[in-house]
Amino acid sequence: MTARRPAGSSCARAASTPARRSPRLAPLAVALLLATCAQHVPELPMTEQAVPFASLNADQVGSAPPVADAVTPERLVRAREEPQNWLTYYGAYDGQRYSALDQIDTSNVARLRPAWIFQYQLLGLYANPVTAAFEAAPLVVDGVMYVTGPNGYLWALDAATGRKLWQYQHQIPIDVALCCGNVNRGAAVARGLVYMATANGYLVALDARTGQPRWQTAFADVRAAESATLAPLVVKDLVLVGSSGAEYGVRGHIDAIDARTGRRVWRRYTVPKPGEPGAETWPPEPPDARHGGAWARGGGTTWITGTYDPELDLVYWGTGNPSPVFDGEGRQGSNLYTSSVVALDPDDGTIRWHYQWTPHDVWDYDGVGESILFEQDGRKLLAHFDRNGYLFILDRTDGRLVRATRYARADWADIDPTSGRVTVQRVPSDSGTRICPGPAGAKVWNHAAYSRQTGLLYVPVIELCATFTRQTQEFREGLPYLGSGFQNDAEQGWGQVKAFDPATGREVWSWRGEAPIVTSLLATAGGLVFSGEPSGMFDAFDARTGRLLWQFRTGSGIHSSPITYRVGGRQYVAVPVGWGGWLEGFAPHDYGVPRALSLVVFALP
Amino acid sequence: MSRRARWARAGVVALALAATALAAGCGYVRLLRPSVLKQLNPRVVRLVNELPATDDVNEALIGRLFAHGGAADARVGRDGVMRVAVDVPPDEYLWSPAVIIMPHGGELEIAFTNPDRVLHGAFLPSDGGRQLIWLPERRGGRARIRLDQPGYYFFGCPVMNHAGRGMIGLILVKGDTPAEARLDRPPQRRP
Repeated sequence: MTARRPAGSSCARAASTPARRSPRLAPLAVALLLATCAQHVPELPMTEQAVPFASLNADQVGSAPPVADAVTPERLVRAREEPQNWLTYYGAYDGQRYSALDQIDTSNVARLRPAWIFQYQLLGLYANPVTAAFEAAPLVVDGVMYVTGPNGYLWALDAATGRKLWQYQHQIPIDVALCCGNVNRGAAVARGLVYMATANGYLVALDARTGQPRWQTAFADVRAAESATLAPLVVKDLVLVGSSGAEYGVRGHIDAIDARTGRRVWRRYTVPKPGEPGAETWPPEPPDARHGGAWARGGGTTWITGTYDPELDLVYWGTGNPSPVFDGEGRQGSNLYTSSVVALDPDDGTIRWHYQWTPHDVWDYDGVGESILFEQDGRKLLAHFDRNGYLFILDRTDGRLVRATRYARADWADIDPTSGRVTVQRVPSDSGTRICPGPAGAKVWNHAAYSRQTGLLYVPVIELCATFTRQTQEFREGLPYLGSGFQNDAEQGWGQVKAFDPATGREVWSWRGEAPIVTSLLATAGGLVFSGEPSGMFDAFDARTGRLLWQFRTGSGIHSSPITYRVGGRQYVAVPVGWGGWLEGFAPHDYGVPRALSLVVFALP
Repeated sequence: MSRRARWARAGVVALALAATALAAGCGYVRLLRPSVLKQLNPRVVRLVNELPATDDVNEALIGRLFAHGGAADARVGRDGVMRVAVDVPPDEYLWSPAVIIMPHGGELEIAFTNPDRVLHGAFLPSDGGRQLIWLPERRGGRARIRLDQPGYYFFGCPVMNHAGRGMIGLILVKGDTPAEARLDRPPQRRP
């Protein structure tokens, strides 16, 4: 080994000078050398001062009008009455992703043009740049847009012009444990505050006028590799958030945080402890288990925003896969409440009922997808397109199954349409088993829509199968805990936009794209459904026929939730564009699509 | 000189050396720590042997391998603010120290000095938004940043490609998940 100097101090240069050979002087030389090791700091005039980087921008306004002050929880309940705004993650508590705006319609959509573009590039070294996608759904409150980006960003923009009003960046450590991407899906707003969940597990409340932080509350255990990516949901006086990280064998939970103070009000774990309801669906804990039974590492994270029925006062929240996801040997049983929907009392988090989409999930089908709330023939129903390839319609008062129908290729199991009984056909094996759909499912996190105008459900579909393998793995906190993996089919998967009649479960129309569709759909009263493609193409379809009416090439892949709103009598359609996320899972053949963050906003000329 | 006297003298010299070293806070003394000796595996030895050609500007590389400005602890002041001094040694394209260690989350004041003959700057992480400080030649300045949560964060010089040539720095914030956010489960095996 060659002795090398630790450069960067005067000591360093001296160290590389050969010491004199005299035995008497050697100790003295060494002593002097050591004495000079203390760092020398030169005395220079300290004239400079750091400034906020974002303030060096003559175009940034620095503050937003106080529109958010008047956003009360009651207004959120009646969000449908103000279609000019997009007040919650899905636009309204029902999760329909439907807008009553109709200025842009089937007759004029072909004339849609960009009105403004907001762009941002992440700078410096940061957590996993390859995955940093623009996955958000923007919020719009009376002309002000609040939108989150990857790596801790939140921007307030003038919704009519795109001018930046203010910007906040929560610093995300480079070493944060992420599941799949450095991403964030949006903000929540109420009573003058904007809320954002950060990748390192904090709920941050900002002053909606200035972007200055008011408080921040930790709700995820980053040491155990939990993180957060979802948009918070304000319900009454609470902000609801959920955790990410089931790939690391965490224990999923939904937290309710006081919207004013940041104090945690309740936490509901989605995997019960021994003795709690549902614990019988996990193996009994051995008496000498120092680290707890399988439940303690059981997964069931809650990384997608729930929906809410104010009349029933129930929150519907999806739960993620059990852990280790591909290996069920050590967790025999159905593993409640993983890969399920839980109906919660928002006041205390009590689980009123649940429905498990994928019992004993060994395919990573997860179950976090949205539950769309709608009415049919006077019944209060819930529609859910699961990653496992089935569309479930439930009675949302009690969780009873109305119908289950296959909406994409799915050979992992047969599900009886009326009883919901699951007959498993194919499971991961040591040597590998090809199963459809792949682990990202037939639809990953991006959302379906329901049109109040057509009465149809619209779903973005991934058509991709994979070969799954299983292997026993020892758990180590903070390290991935998957129980083996998957290999996607070598040929390009494709995507579809499909319309379904919820009354029958029958497909009404479908449109086939060249690559998986991983954009949330948006239905409008203009008779339109908007979608996006990995190629960056932003598409508008006739909601009744599925005919493609308009396209615009945005320049990077779309993996976000487009919205629509109105300012000054003009309807806009906004789509965050920026490719990334868990591409190896849902779009391996589109991994090389250009990365760039931009929010493209369209309007009629 | 008798053998005994020689031993006594050697002992005095050794003691003097140890005392001087400790007083100087010199890093060499710490070379014998187990965590350092643990690094003496063949891969690390090979890397160190390669460094003579990659550790200086315009030797094996155009720039230099990842900065070697060392690490320093930020000291907590009476006002609770952590403080550290960072300078830019002339012609070296590095931060000294390049790794700043904060004992916990909070406010950090960095006193930068630039004795180099060219303009530098620091593009810094801070909760709320990044900060920028310019460091003209033979001048210094202060940056007050806030990093509340554990992990490590990047800072770098935005001038020319100084960061690529060595002026990359990291701020390490020690800490753990707050108790109220931890998972309710028995202690688990760690790596």
